[in-house]
Amino acid sequence: MSLIAPAPPRWRATSTGFAAGLRLNFLLVSLLVLTTLIALFARILAPHDPVQPVGGLNLPPGSDGFPFGTDAIGRDMLSRTLYGIQASWFSALLVVAVGLLIGGVIGVIAGVASGWVDAVLMRMTDLFLALPGVLVSIAIVAALGAGLGNTLIGVSVVWWPYYARMIRGEARSIAVRPHVEAARLAGISRGRVILRHVLPGVVPTAVVTASLDVGNVVLLLAGLSFLGLGQSAPAPELGADTARALSQLLSEWWVPVVPGIAVLILSLVANLGGDGIRALTAKRR
Amino acid sequence: MITSLAKRLGITVVLLFILSGIIFFLQSISPGDPVKAYLGANASRADVLSERHRLGLDQPTIVQFGGFLVGLVHGDLGVSYRTHRPVFKDFATYLPATIELVVFAFLLAILLAVTFAFSAALRVPGSSFYRGILLVGATAPPFLLAIGGIVLFYQQLGVLPASGRGPDDRGPTGFLVIDTLVNGDIPGFGSTLQHLLLPGLVLAIAPAISIGRILRSSLESTLSADYVRTARSKGLGRGRVLIKHVLRNSIGPAISMSGLQLGFMFAGVVVVEQVFSWPGIGNYLASSIPVSDFPAIAGVTLVLGTIYIITNAVVDLLQAAADPRLVA
Amino acid sequence: MTASVRGLTVSLTRGGVTSDVIRGVNLEIAPGEIVGLVGESGSGKSVLALALLGLLPESSAPRISGAVTVAGVDMVHGNAADLRRVRSTELGAIFQDPMTSLNPTMRIGAQVTESTHSTAESIRLLSLVGIHKAAERMHAYPHELSGGLRQRVMTAIAVSGTPSLIVADEPTTALDVTVQAQVLDLLRELRLTLGCSVLIITHDLGVASQLADRIAVMYAGRIVEQGAVHEVLRKPANPYTVGLLGARLSLGMRRQGLLATLAPETASPDERMLGCAYHSRCLLATSECAIEAPPLAQVESRADGHVTACWRSPEKVSALGTSLRDRAAAELPDLAALAPAPLSKGPAVEVADLTCTFTAKGGRGRAKSIHAIQGISLRVESGEALSVVGESGSGKSTLLRIIAGLTPATSGTVFVTPGQPQMVFQDAGSSLTPWLSVGETLRERLLALRISRSEANRRVEHILESMGLPASVAGVRPSELSGGQRQRVVLARAMIIPPSILLCDEPTSALDASLAASMLNLIREMRKRLGTTVLFVTHDLAVARLMGDRIAVMNRGRLVEVGEADSVISRPKDPYTAALIAAVPEIIIDGEPGS
Repeated sequence: MSLIAPAPPRWRATSTGFAAGLRLNFLLVSLLVLTTLIALFARILAPHDPVQPVGGLNLPPGSDGFPFGTDAIGRDMLSRTLYGIQASWFSALLVVAVGLLIGGVIGVIAGVASGWVDAVLMRMTDLFLALPGVLVSIAIVAALGAGLGNTLIGVSVVWWPYYARMIRGEARSIAVRPHVEAARLAGISRGRVILRHVLPGVVPTAVVTASLDVGNVVLLLAGLSFLGLGQSAPAPELGADTARALSQLLSEWWVPVVPGIAVLILSLVANLGGDGIRALTAKRR
Repeated sequence: MITSLAKRLGITVVLLFILSGIIFFLQSISPGDPVKAYLGANASRADVLSERHRLGLDQPTIVQFGGFLVGLVHGDLGVSYRTHRPVFKDFATYLPATIELVVFAFLLAILLAVTFAFSAALRVPGSSFYRGILLVGATAPPFLLAIGGIVLFYQQLGVLPASGRGPDDRGPTGFLVIDTLVNGDIPGFGSTLQHLLLPGLVLAIAPAISIGRILRSSLESTLSADYVRTARSKGLGRGRVLIKHVLRNSIGPAISMSGLQLGFMFAGVVVVEQVFSWPGIGNYLASSIPVSDFPAIAGVTLVLGTIYIITNAVVDLLQAAADPRLVA
Repeated sequence: MTASVRGLTVSLTRGGVTSDVIRGVNLEIAPGEIVGLVGESGSGKSVLALALLGLLPESSAPRISGAVTVAGVDMVHGNAADLRRVRSTELGAIFQDPMTSLNPTMRIGAQVTESTHSTAESIRLLSLVGIHKAAERMHAYPHELSGGLRQRVMTAIAVSGTPSLIVADEPTTALDVTVQAQVLDLLRELRLTLGCSVLIITHDLGVASQLADRIAVMYAGRIVEQGAVHEVLRKPANPYTVGLLGARLSLGMRRQGLLATLAPETASPDERMLGCAYHSRCLLATSECAIEAPPLAQVESRADGHVTACWRSPEKVSALGTSLRDRAAAELPDLAALAPAPLSKGPAVEVADLTCTFTAKGGRGRAKSIHAIQGISLRVESGEALSVVGESGSGKSTLLRIIAGLTPATSGTVFVTPGQPQMVFQDAGSSLTPWLSVGETLRERLLALRISRSEANRRVEHILESMGLPASVAGVRPSELSGGQRQRVVLARAMIIPPSILLCDEPTSALDASLAASMLNLIREMRKRLGTTVLFVTHDLAVARLMGDRIAVMNRGRLVEVGEADSVISRPKDPYTAALIAAVPEIIIDGEPGS
């Protein structure tokens, strides 16, 4: 056992040789795509109406016609879970997209402009970052009133600073590289330099970070939903469904557990997919 | 050194000010009318108006904000709609339980993070399974881990309790871990630990992974650093190289992340306390949400937020003090 | 024997690719002997150093066969405790980069004491290596010391415990030339006072010549020539050694004519494994060379112990020098088709009382003023070539950047002839946008001309050819090109619209000797044909002498001396210039500098 032994950075995606790693990464990214498709077509894939009672009460999973069982009101767990996945997945994508957009614009401007523009924007961003994000989103949603839209607003408001800082860092590190100076020397206008010589370098990192972040947002939204800050009953929502069925945990365990497992799977897919994207876009030395 | 301390202090004060401002702003746009909630829905219009005047709610916003800040400094966080007690009093009752849980979870997280990072960097055989479990645990939503833990350890295995803090020792500190020992109540001490274990573990896993990953990557890059090669070329033993050369240079980012995660734990504790019926302010907050008890929500956000901001400031300063390159 | 290497073969796996880095090396180091191991990057010399220390990185999954013995201990198969003992009592190591080789969070005193086990001894050693006020310096952190001092600390650590062998891997490459001379003096002294052997690994033949008794030349994992240092350098018996000597720049060499260059490597790694590894680049190669690798054997008509691995006779090898220069001429592209530079009356550049000050963050948040340039007046005529020489921190790069318009001057006047000067940077790779193809980068410069797409493509092809690059390079990204090719692309970008002034900021420092020579030939030829004004910044006096009609010497932001190239070198007026010249490690043969 020697000390000079750095192990490969991830234990999953690239450990077994290059070609195998490549295949694995493609697999992970296709899982991402698959999940998005499932979420998109939840309406078509769901066998029953998620809000109406359609079967016996508290039927266990594997019962005839109800692979995930039914809940205390007789609603189909599978349908509710599918709709819940749709809501969670697209909400997370939306939050990440908004964060990326706002944070990205601010980050690129700050990174490229430097000087006082950079200082002011980053001070502002740092202040936002220093605040307790989750708690503030809870407070925001509580103030605006529960509901999916308000929750998304509440989370987006505290989420963009993270992107701004990260993208500003990337933009800055690229903007000071010699090739940008060389481009300026070649007589190319500032705008074109930013667009063609800085931005394309920022995009890969931004995409990787965003894709890894989807998992975090899924968990956060599920947690807020669990606390009652999402859509109101009887809308199917993964976190909320678990919370409402908590009392059944020791008897009809599947009612609270299945939505929780759905969140776990979404989070897992997002994390692995993000890893796959990172491995695929990593530049070879 | 003094100037950076003063600067940090200044920033902290500004942050707290902004936090209060945000809470005040949210309070003003929140739908619930504090007066109606206080007096009840059937209060007459005249009563409502006079109560508003008494509470100073018809003053201009700036004045109200000023009053709000003054009240904050005096510990006046308003009155809960739900319990009808001053939020501050509710705090005093529930805060120790949360702090105990968070501190316990934090220590557990550090332990898990260190084992995670070292087992990876030193390539301990068989440890990838252990790390795999931790990673899955960190990807799972905390509420799932909580209910899963209850089903497994309480219902199936019967080794851990599912709710509450355990013994009812009314001790001097409000921290059962200390109070039970002070009272010489050894079985109570054991019961306290038992009750802390599951919620602590659930709360600790995700932070453990965040810290563990950073620590691991620091360790790995340090292990392949030139100065480690120099140390080995001197003929130093593995252990010495590890402790004197690798560790000190690796912990910086991990300390920073630990501080950050400690802050996040104060938010994560809300869900955990609710599932485990832990009598802390997380649970208090969770109960306040369904009834739109804004003073309570605001109060919790302010206090936990303040703890978060101050913790980060302390961690920043500690880190600056530890790295000679930053201080010199 | 202090150390001996017998039949060593090492294969490493890096980035998923396994290669034989060392292929059958025999080397012996006698007590008290200094052996110089010379080779270019990729020759395997650093891996040999690590093998001697028993520190091959586990992450590269090393497979070792053969024997490495130091002070009687088997460094390949020995047990960990024995290896540690040997490292602490018999071996000392000095690595290339002193900044990263010392623990940044540990005081240097503590780091030295880890080897000496006694504070008093640490202080004694630090004084021994020439660190003043050693007792105070014990409490300093590495980042508080200069590069030269750090390397002295490394040396102190290396000599603690009176080792029998010091392994020094490029110990002076990262240092300024004056500091380099001091460190080399130190090593020489230590050999005398301590009686230890030294293995000095370097790419610089001059360094080897100044320090070593014996020299071994390494190429592609094998030793291709070995012998007493003056023997080998005066009468080399291997084509590669001749090539290295030829491509080497020295202060005394002729200024006219082309520099000798080596042919670029064209064979694949597998082809190189058969036969002599150098055969695809060797001007003397025969079909035998391609099939069978020559063994290392005593050279007839040379001193005992002078061995070489070559099928051709030593006479043929000695005659190689001229052929290499002819080759270099053949390798030059036809520049006649390029448009000549725009002429102007009057000076191309004139600066008067120029200063430039930066504020940087010092420690504890205090702002530190860096006076990069402190009052310089200089005039460059149109069509002239001026070399600006200085060590790091002299302000030479800042001067260039001010002329280019990248950095503003703080005070003083700057006149630059109209038209944007073009610049060739030190690191070609990072001065080309990684995600744009070569063609796109070159076409971008033509945007302002508003010419048609097909015309632009034609010009791109034209300039690439002029630089000796195939037109197919236009569709390729910089990362897919070799270092030398990238540098030519940067030059192409500068020249595609002939600039009034060409600014070169150490464009060859990062290149191997042969590639550097190639590049310098190209720039000189270009200047001869087109008459472009050239400002060439370098830290290497020999390069400065070759590239400029005049030399300007800078030290800490001031202009110390300006004059015609040969006069400055042979009759320097300023003591700093004289010190710079004296510090250049020339090849010494029988006590006199040779070329």
